[in-house]
Amino acid sequence: MNRAAIIWRVASFAVAAGFVAIWQLIANLKLVSPVFLPGPDRAWAALMRGFSSGDLWSKLAGTLEHMAYGWLAASIAGIAIGAIIGSSSRMRTYVAPSLEFLRPLPVSAIIPVAIAMLGLTQAMALFVIAFGAIWPIMLATIHGFAAVEPRLYEVARSLQMSRLAVIFKIALPSASPDILAGMRLSLTVALILSVVCEILAGLDGLGHWVLLSARAFRSADLFAGVILLGLTGYVTSVAMSLAEHRLLAWQAAQR
Amino acid sequence: MASAAKRLEAVYGTATPQIAFDGVTLVLGGKTIIENLSLGVQPGEFLCIVGASGCGKTTALRLAAGLYQPTSGKVNFDGQPMREPRREIAIVFQDYGKALLPWRTAAGNVSLALEAGGMPSAERPARIEELLRTVGLPGHAGKYPSEMSGGMQQRLQIARCLAQEPKTLLMDEPFGALDAMTRQGLQDEVLSLVAASGATVIFVTHDLDEAIYLGDRVIGLLPHPGRIGIELSVNLPRPRDQLSTREHPEFLRLRRQLFDFIKATEQ
Repeated sequence: MNRAAIIWRVASFAVAAGFVAIWQLIANLKLVSPVFLPGPDRAWAALMRGFSSGDLWSKLAGTLEHMAYGWLAASIAGIAIGAIIGSSSRMRTYVAPSLEFLRPLPVSAIIPVAIAMLGLTQAMALFVIAFGAIWPIMLATIHGFAAVEPRLYEVARSLQMSRLAVIFKIALPSASPDILAGMRLSLTVALILSVVCEILAGLDGLGHWVLLSARAFRSADLFAGVILLGLTGYVTSVAMSLAEHRLLAWQAAQR
Repeated sequence: MASAAKRLEAVYGTATPQIAFDGVTLVLGGKTIIENLSLGVQPGEFLCIVGASGCGKTTALRLAAGLYQPTSGKVNFDGQPMREPRREIAIVFQDYGKALLPWRTAAGNVSLALEAGGMPSAERPARIEELLRTVGLPGHAGKYPSEMSGGMQQRLQIARCLAQEPKTLLMDEPFGALDAMTRQGLQDEVLSLVAASGATVIFVTHDLDEAIYLGDRVIGLLPHPGRIGIELSVNLPRPRDQLSTREHPEFLRLRRQLFDFIKATEQ
């Protein structure tokens, strides 16, 4: 990291610290009733208390589990379906209109349908999360597969590569930057939908914790949960970026 | 100082052509690209195809590769009809940047051909090293194509083609995008690689000097639709030399003949 990068990093932390200070100031001056807005000190204390009692750990684990299962299911299905559609221009023409109809559909509209069919269950949550998270992955995969350099398919033909080998050695790696970008977008969608499902279906997780804390006017606990959700989003997205950076090292060489 | 084909003919009598076009016509999108092309390429022969742009020389090469099927007529390889590309026919594309896998290192790109040929993974590293050394890329195994110059990338593509152990090497203006110095170096390397492997070569180029310098025979195509306009045997001594071959009276005579032909087609 060079000097300028370090200075930017320090500056960005300073801005974040500034926001926390303003928050503390507003809380101290009681501009908002402490019933609704705890200061960062109380939120932090609630976070620590939650962790030491173990309650927050299990809620965090619940949310991470919903998110991970839904996201993985969406990734596997999204890449598989996207690969099938993307590798054939005929399929793209046939399927594209249906996709265009389904894609902008708000996932929240699917939730009542899912609850009617699957009940207030983990399966319902998994379905909703996967349904919401599949779109960025699938569309990115379709695009990635459609954009494979035709010359490479000719190379594959002249090498008489099998269909499977063409998919795994040519098409998938070629589409991987698109696919990984789609997976990163879906990660956020999966987190949002995990919280929504926990709130609606009362499933064990941070969403449920936040809801119960709000209803009981335990604002410090509520904020502890929100902070933890924010951290979850941040950490998973950073981890995804690191994985992308690693997997796409060849692209760094290209620039 | 007979050409390779003549040498082979002297030994085996009239050899069956390795690649034979028999009255080949290709119509693409309602347009006749190639009409009634008949052509035999002897095993071990170095055939160059030249012609004005749009005369169908690249198309002829793609027919020989099995990437296109003729609308009528036949393309035979070793007496068998060509229905699809085959591993013993390797293609060196002009756009090396598109023909290499950017996510694989130099070694990985060569490995692709070995994997396709079913070579056990334990045997690959030694063979990859050998091939990279052959094309003058030792010590670059770990580099990605994007980290290499154009000349190096084209060498790498040639290494991958050699990994196919081809009987026939089809080269589509392989040096068209390279600077003159790199091009001359690669011309000589291709000649020595081909001499060592005994492969048959069809080499498409728009550089007439290059065609005469490399080939045993040069065919000039006429455009709209593509057909043979001129056929020249190149009886120049081998190994060829960038200076003395290009100063040879026969070279200059052929060059003149070919230039006149191309000039006439462009009018």
